[in-house]
Amino acid sequence: MKLKHTMAEPAPLQMDQSTRTHGDVLLSAQDMVIEFNLRGRLLTAVRGASLELRAGETLAVVGESGSGKSVLAKSFLGMLDKNGRVRSGSALYRGLDLVGLKTEDDWLAIRGKKVAMIFQDPMTALNPLKTVGEQIREVASLHRGLGKSEARLLALDMLSRVGIPEPERRYSQYPHEFSGGMRQRVVIASAIACGPEILICDEPTTALDVTIQAQILELIKGLQRDLGMSVLFITHDLGVVAKMADRIAVMYAGQVVEEGLSSEVFYDARHPYTWTLLASLPQLGIKGDELFSIKGTPPSLFKTIKGDAFAPRNPFALKVDFEYEPPFFDVSPTHRAKTWLLDPRSPRIEVPETISRLRSRLTETRAEELAGKAADLAARTSRTKKGGGR
Amino acid sequence: MKTYILKRLGQSFLTVALVVMVVFLLLRLMPTSGYFERDDYINMDEAARTEYLRTLGVLDNPFVAFGKFVAGLSRGDLGRSISVYPRTQISEIIAQKAPYSLAFGLSAITISIVVGLWLGIAMANHKDKLIDGLGTGYIVIVRAIPSLIYLFLIQIWVSGLLGWPMIFYEDQPVSWILPVISIALSSVAWYAIWLRRFMVDEENKDYIKFAISKGMRRKYVMTRHVLRNAAVPIVQYLPAQILLTISGSLVVESIYSIPGLGGLLVYAIRQQDNPLVQVLVLLFSVLGVFGVFLGDVLMVLVDPRIKLAGTEKRKVQA
Repeated sequence: MKLKHTMAEPAPLQMDQSTRTHGDVLLSAQDMVIEFNLRGRLLTAVRGASLELRAGETLAVVGESGSGKSVLAKSFLGMLDKNGRVRSGSALYRGLDLVGLKTEDDWLAIRGKKVAMIFQDPMTALNPLKTVGEQIREVASLHRGLGKSEARLLALDMLSRVGIPEPERRYSQYPHEFSGGMRQRVVIASAIACGPEILICDEPTTALDVTIQAQILELIKGLQRDLGMSVLFITHDLGVVAKMADRIAVMYAGQVVEEGLSSEVFYDARHPYTWTLLASLPQLGIKGDELFSIKGTPPSLFKTIKGDAFAPRNPFALKVDFEYEPPFFDVSPTHRAKTWLLDPRSPRIEVPETISRLRSRLTETRAEELAGKAADLAARTSRTKKGGGR
Repeated sequence: MKTYILKRLGQSFLTVALVVMVVFLLLRLMPTSGYFERDDYINMDEAARTEYLRTLGVLDNPFVAFGKFVAGLSRGDLGRSISVYPRTQISEIIAQKAPYSLAFGLSAITISIVVGLWLGIAMANHKDKLIDGLGTGYIVIVRAIPSLIYLFLIQIWVSGLLGWPMIFYEDQPVSWILPVISIALSSVAWYAIWLRRFMVDEENKDYIKFAISKGMRRKYVMTRHVLRNAAVPIVQYLPAQILLTISGSLVVESIYSIPGLGGLLVYAIRQQDNPLVQVLVLLFSVLGVFGVFLGDVLMVLVDPRIKLAGTEKRKVQA
């Protein structure tokens, strides 16, 4: 575990390059439009977003606050606030359109069982008046139809799986007796207690301090490997994305604007918004220089947006961006971006300096990283041998 | 737990002692004419008056007198009333009146808990729907309009409408109904408004959303998580409210002519019946303080976050 990095010195970007083979599409959301009625005004939080989640992969959804990433994820659980609804689009999970689910009974077959979600703040995600064991047991007996003692055993197993020492004693303690990191472990334990196929993580480490963040990310990764879950990881922390994601979907103003394999998005981003996102990484700044920040604010989603939503903030915007919404252009079979810059008719644009610097920086850290990884792997294998393997 | 309870009991006792002492000493500042019955005062001459006061112990040093009062209490002697019920043992007065107040108070509180909590739950479950609107309307009316107005209206119109007696008759059970309802009206509103509020608060918390996202039924979550947690702050007030029903309802008891304890304290003060005032203050403060004490102990039982001082070392681990 690398604990030497503190808040002051941003951790170098660590790309997870382990190539995993991924299965079929598990969840496919197409052209999702999600609206909220706010005191009579209509806010379109998600404007035709599409994404696919494959079996066993981690898809990171990145974007700034208000880009619709959480809302989109919540719609997969039927957890939109009362004033929100999916106006159009489809979200096929194993052939079942989640958008069509209306009644609570329909959703009960999905929530927790097939798709589970963990929230941002572990301090508020647990019932303060119930023991943690009880809160996990509750889920287990509910979905798996287990008796009390069996469910208890399962809960204990879950607690030790997420790395809580002395699960027997911890089982009957209350959330306030746990630290933030430990609570997040409990939250994860109760989310996976029913063996969901998809785990949605909504900024699960934002509220934790850096060293704990790393532990929780490792935990999620490990559980994903062991249980074969797909993870939909929502975050605005690109450092976390680099560590976790197999694929990345970048969202802006309620749309996915670029998606691709993690390496493709980091090394070969094509959308100007992705450029600016990457350029604002503190790891890429030059000491003494001011950090890059994106000028302007995202457009109001109360109004209909003409053309490309990012155009007003985009230094590379073309005239056409203000008139017509760009379609997706394929960069590779796994990589596509929604920008007119990729249209053959558009003028050639020099990739901004920070981005080219990003590429060289990433290659540097990648070399260091690979060396570190080899050592890490060696250490891990020896540990598993000692521990007899789990 | 034991040390905590003992400590709290000690504190409660001290509070009561202070209240009683302060009231006792303050009463000494009142004119002595309050210790006489009206005719006696007029008929007696100055010497006879002094003699009478001396036998009552009023002229003693106030602290000596307080000691006597406490000594009397320990023998179960509460003293005699002077002007309200001349020469009657105060214990007798209370024994006669308290059962009425208790009976009405307890039935009213039962109704208000059942109806009030039901209304609160219904309002929280159907927030912004018809029942919520009706409930809010009811609460606003009951809390905003001076109770005397609607209580009189109920007494006059409803009793007329149903042909029920307008005042309380012990031998006509039907005459017991309206007073009970009248007492319950405002506390129903109290329970409903607070339970609704606490439930709505809880409902919007992350752990409820998390529970729903794990696939629990809304109904199950509402009862096992929301209601249970929302009840905690209400539970604290229950014991004091139940115990203080004995003090009776001033307005309702007087408009229905119920011979309860309601208003007796006010009346005794107006009549300068010092011994009676003294005992009633003692009684009500004991009940109030003890009720709060019980509420605190109950809180500990229902909320694990509240740890009693010194019972157990908090286990905090990183």
